[in-house]
Amino acid sequence: MRNSRFPFSFSLVPLLSGTVAVLAISYIGLIAVVMSYAALTVEFSQSVKNDESAVAVLEGQYLASIASIQDLDYRTAGYAAPLAQIFVPAASMTALR
Amino acid sequence: MRAQFRSRIRFVLALIILAALLVLVRLYFVQIMHGDDYALKADRQFASGGSGLFDRGAIYFTSKDGTNISAATLATGFLVAINPQTIQDPEAAYTAIAAVASTTLSHDAFLAAVAKKNLVYVEVAQHIPDAAGQALAAENIPGVQVLRERWRYYPGGTLASQAIGIVSYGSGDTLVGQTGLEAEYDGTLSRSGDSLYKNFFAELFSNVGNLLVNAKDAREGSIVTTIEPDVQTRLEHDLAAVNGQYSSKESGGIIMDPATGAIVAFASYPNYDGNNLQNVDPSLLGNPLVEQVHEFGSIMKPLTMTSGLDAGAITPQSTFDDPGCITVNTMRICDWDLKPKGVIGVKQIILQSLNVGASWVATRLGQDKFRSYFTTLFGQKTGIDLPNEGHALLGNLATTQQVNFDDMSFGQGIAVTPVQMIRALGAVANGGVMVEPHLVSAIRLDSGITRKLDWSHTTPVFSATAARETTQMMTEMFDTKLENGKAIIPTMSVAAKTGTAQLTDGHGGYYTNRFFHSFVGFFPSYNPRFIILLYTDDPQHVEYASETLDTTFLDLTHFLIDYYQIPPDRGFATSTSQG
Repeated sequence: MRNSRFPFSFSLVPLLSGTVAVLAISYIGLIAVVMSYAALTVEFSQSVKNDESAVAVLEGQYLASIASIQDLDYRTAGYAAPLAQIFVPAASMTALR
Repeated sequence: MRAQFRSRIRFVLALIILAALLVLVRLYFVQIMHGDDYALKADRQFASGGSGLFDRGAIYFTSKDGTNISAATLATGFLVAINPQTIQDPEAAYTAIAAVASTTLSHDAFLAAVAKKNLVYVEVAQHIPDAAGQALAAENIPGVQVLRERWRYYPGGTLASQAIGIVSYGSGDTLVGQTGLEAEYDGTLSRSGDSLYKNFFAELFSNVGNLLVNAKDAREGSIVTTIEPDVQTRLEHDLAAVNGQYSSKESGGIIMDPATGAIVAFASYPNYDGNNLQNVDPSLLGNPLVEQVHEFGSIMKPLTMTSGLDAGAITPQSTFDDPGCITVNTMRICDWDLKPKGVIGVKQIILQSLNVGASWVATRLGQDKFRSYFTTLFGQKTGIDLPNEGHALLGNLATTQQVNFDDMSFGQGIAVTPVQMIRALGAVANGGVMVEPHLVSAIRLDSGITRKLDWSHTTPVFSATAARETTQMMTEMFDTKLENGKAIIPTMSVAAKTGTAQLTDGHGGYYTNRFFHSFVGFFPSYNPRFIILLYTDDPQHVEYASETLDTTFLDLTHFLIDYYQIPPDRGFATSTSQG
């Protein structure tokens, strides 16, 4: 009589147990993925910061070299003051056309 | 069978509930009853390592080709802390740490730190370079912790330090911008610090909105300034030279695009190195270019002249009788040489810098109109993006004594900030229109979007005709008077004016032998790329600005023409002059 109503053997407990197991594994897997992502993000971020720091050192050297050049007295470097200054003439309107 | 199963289920449930209750009770005692104690203990143990690394947006210079160069950024390295309870060989530890410390590590101070046996964490060295820190960490010295650290770093050192500003601990326990752009744009530059260490899983479910539209990404970023590092370096170099040569109290300068208000260089001397604030005079941490007011002297005359021309009180062809000295409200006003000049044209007021002539223009203009023009020029803050901008001292505008207006016409009895002064004089250079001086052109958001700031607000003051007529007088002054005409640049028109003001003695009068020198100029005169304002406060053993600042102005002018390859604007043929 029972078999005529339910042709397949059916039990709720194994079905729910299986679902719980799948969800638990998914949960753990999701945590693992998220934690790995977080770790990689932190690592990459630190890497970027380290690179920026290295660039900052180079920028410091560049700015120091600018200051050094502008502080330099050309006469102490063996150069003499120019005898004359030649100014570039304004371009004529004709030439511009 | 079913009853037995139910009883088992109930038993398991009871166990779970009991366990949950035990956990809840335990959490209650840990978090509520003893929470403060645990938090304090955690703070002591992980004062540095557990609080996250310092993070902050960058500030960039912009070179003439558009390249961004860091003005303020982050340096990465290590700090060294000791645990006095576990350190075994203090002398060996000191030797190892002192070998890598970037600053001198006091032996006595180190031993004093070791003696604090009630502590578990004492920082003894900071800002250690990356390689040295890693080498020290590899030694695994007992009781010595080598922890990752980030700190604010200014690659240019003193370069634009007062404009860039500093970060330091304020009233709280976090580093915040205290001065300069660091303070003005702190909301953009500061970081909340939890972006890397937040609970991603919790964020995923509890804060989905933030994952889709992150409000911080729309706020946090870096700022891009208009300061050009080469020009800034040159200006600072020249200011240091003039300040040293004349033993001035202070010298300053601003170089600005008069059409847009973009400030290319912004410096005062003395200044400081933002990387090393240990022995800095706190008074230097402010910015005198926006905070301090001065009586600028005769560089005010172009504004008086343009006001008179704009109002129709005078024309470029007007003449006046200059007796050398006049008496107004019982006060005596004199030209610099005290000599009568007879009937002369108004342009001589600019060419010879005549106080009596400027007073005559002010009288012709009338007090109401003078008040109106100068209130428009100086009555409001400029709106520059720096904190603590000062107000001009305009008390004499509210009086009715003509002598006060006469004084103001040549720059005495009216005190304004340098940035107000260059903004007002910029109106003469910019066809009579004042612009908004500014240091930051754009904000580069962490989201990747660059947001350009709007500085397009302008304030019309003079007619373009009046501004051009004054510019012609200033150009003639540069060509014929500066260094007795030797400063002329054959292919480039330059408009300029010097100013020498007596310093106030603090008792309502003026010193007769102490001065404030100023100099303003812009070029090419009729379509200027740059306006330069210079000043030096209380130079010693020299009276006139033409003696102190003309060399500096000429150096900067020639430098800018060469550096920016500004094309000639005059139709002179190729000319040669003796160098």
